[in-house]
Amino acid sequence: MTLYALSGALSLGLGYGLMVLGVYITFRILDFPDLTVDGSLPLGAAVSAVLITKGWDPFLSLLPAAGAGFLAGMVTGALSTKLRILNLLASIITMTALYSINIRIMGRPNISLISLPTVFSPLGRLDIPTIISSNIVFLSFILFAVALLSWLMRTEYGQALVATGDNPRMIKSLGVNTNFTIITGVGISNAMVAVSGALIAQNQGSADVSSGIGTIVAGLASIVVGETLFPSSRVGTAIIAVVLGSVVYRLVIALAMGLNLGGFSFTASDLQLITATLVVVALVLPMLRKKGAR
Amino acid sequence: MLRLEGLSKWFAKGTVNEVQALDGLDLEVGTGEFVCVIGSNGAGKSTLLNCVAGTYPPDKGRILLAGEDIGGRPEFKRARLIGRVFQDPLLGTCASMTIEENMALANRRGKRRTLRPGIRDLERERFREALSKLGLGLEDRLKDKAGLLSGGQRQALTLLMATLVRPTILLLDEHTAALDPKTAGLIMDLTRDLVEGGKLTTIMITHNMQQALSFGGRLVMMHRGKVLLDYSGSEKERLTVQDLLRHFHEANPLIPDNGVTDRMVLG
Repeated sequence: MTLYALSGALSLGLGYGLMVLGVYITFRILDFPDLTVDGSLPLGAAVSAVLITKGWDPFLSLLPAAGAGFLAGMVTGALSTKLRILNLLASIITMTALYSINIRIMGRPNISLISLPTVFSPLGRLDIPTIISSNIVFLSFILFAVALLSWLMRTEYGQALVATGDNPRMIKSLGVNTNFTIITGVGISNAMVAVSGALIAQNQGSADVSSGIGTIVAGLASIVVGETLFPSSRVGTAIIAVVLGSVVYRLVIALAMGLNLGGFSFTASDLQLITATLVVVALVLPMLRKKGAR
Repeated sequence: MLRLEGLSKWFAKGTVNEVQALDGLDLEVGTGEFVCVIGSNGAGKSTLLNCVAGTYPPDKGRILLAGEDIGGRPEFKRARLIGRVFQDPLLGTCASMTIEENMALANRRGKRRTLRPGIRDLERERFREALSKLGLGLEDRLKDKAGLLSGGQRQALTLLMATLVRPTILLLDEHTAALDPKTAGLIMDLTRDLVEGGKLTTIMITHNMQQALSFGGRLVMMHRGKVLLDYSGSEKERLTVQDLLRHFHEANPLIPDNGVTDRMVLG
């Protein structure tokens, strides 16, 4: 693996790290399997890309992107809590609707950002390799997100959010409106996923409606890898662990892509299969270990 | 304090499985009263507590608590007035959160959850002090996860949490039924300390007749969604398990033996 490929994988790991944090909020903290992310990732990309082509500041374009993601998450949360649709199904419904919405927003299936200003442009003008300056930008965003999330989880609201995922009956009896915590929690999660999508699109130079396929599986894989490699029982450190998991996951994928076994090699389209297999192995591993111990 | 007027509740109404759990029940509980509620399975005891707490709304009737008509309010809005302990020790605390985090959640019962810190240093001192009174050594384990505690320890913690913010009414739903006799005794002692010490208005459901006789100043026996017997004061003090069994059999002539289980008599 070349240094260039390694650095690229690091970029992806950090960029998608924001998405992984979002999935962590729903999947682990709220215990709400949320497939909305497959739609909210390209949603963030679409909103940000359209605004940049209209002359918006690329940094400023991240705010409406986050807002759009938040709204998408709220829709899923409301479908699940107010309309009592099974959470997984509610998220699939929103994800499906977002496909059409994303094309409406962009007016076509994809938008090129080549030669337009992005959040990576300011550092890109400096005399350092683009790949390193990209990593600096991604790293700053992820550090900011980790700090924000660690703070949020320690607030009264954050503690109520954790309790909603752990024991909804108990926290209701203590006066918390769990509909509110679920709707806003899934909203915050998807806001982070949307910003992740916007950053990745700006970095790769295009927003594409199909870029969201497999987001949830990649997110789960990163979480499982992170939790396995860096076990932690506290939310604060678990947040860092899953971001590291995201980086390791992208490195593993890059390694797999570079494999060449007697004429056979993986192509980019095999990525989803590799990831799906990885998630199954990671999810089953703890169970097998328990069986072995018995 | 608490007034229930003509409370009725059906489950699966209009189907073959229709059950009327509460049948026009009237009950008035005075300030500072400690009421024990007994009755056979399906008498409507838990439904009564769930209606008061707001787990589900009654189909008919009114619920007045401290002068407020709370019958139509969702559960989380009533929480300001109500402290609650469930039968299942796992339901009262968050296993993945620490003891102090659980207590901090309870310390904000009925208050808005803001973006201020989830636990403050001042609170920790108060929690430590309250825990030390339990005599379980939990005051040195503030940062331990609640999931590490035994069922009895978790129930003691839940009881403490329910009274951390003084409840207008405390609802105990067979809160010792899932514990071994020794631990159950410990939790009942703690219940007595907290309820009598704080002069808390309390409704306690129990399956254990001996418990119902020795705790509280009033005993209510429910049957088919109504109040069948209601004893208080010296009248209650003269009651024996035999009396209760006799009343029970009079109410259930068709089930001579299997209605009363050993658990109800011996607990």
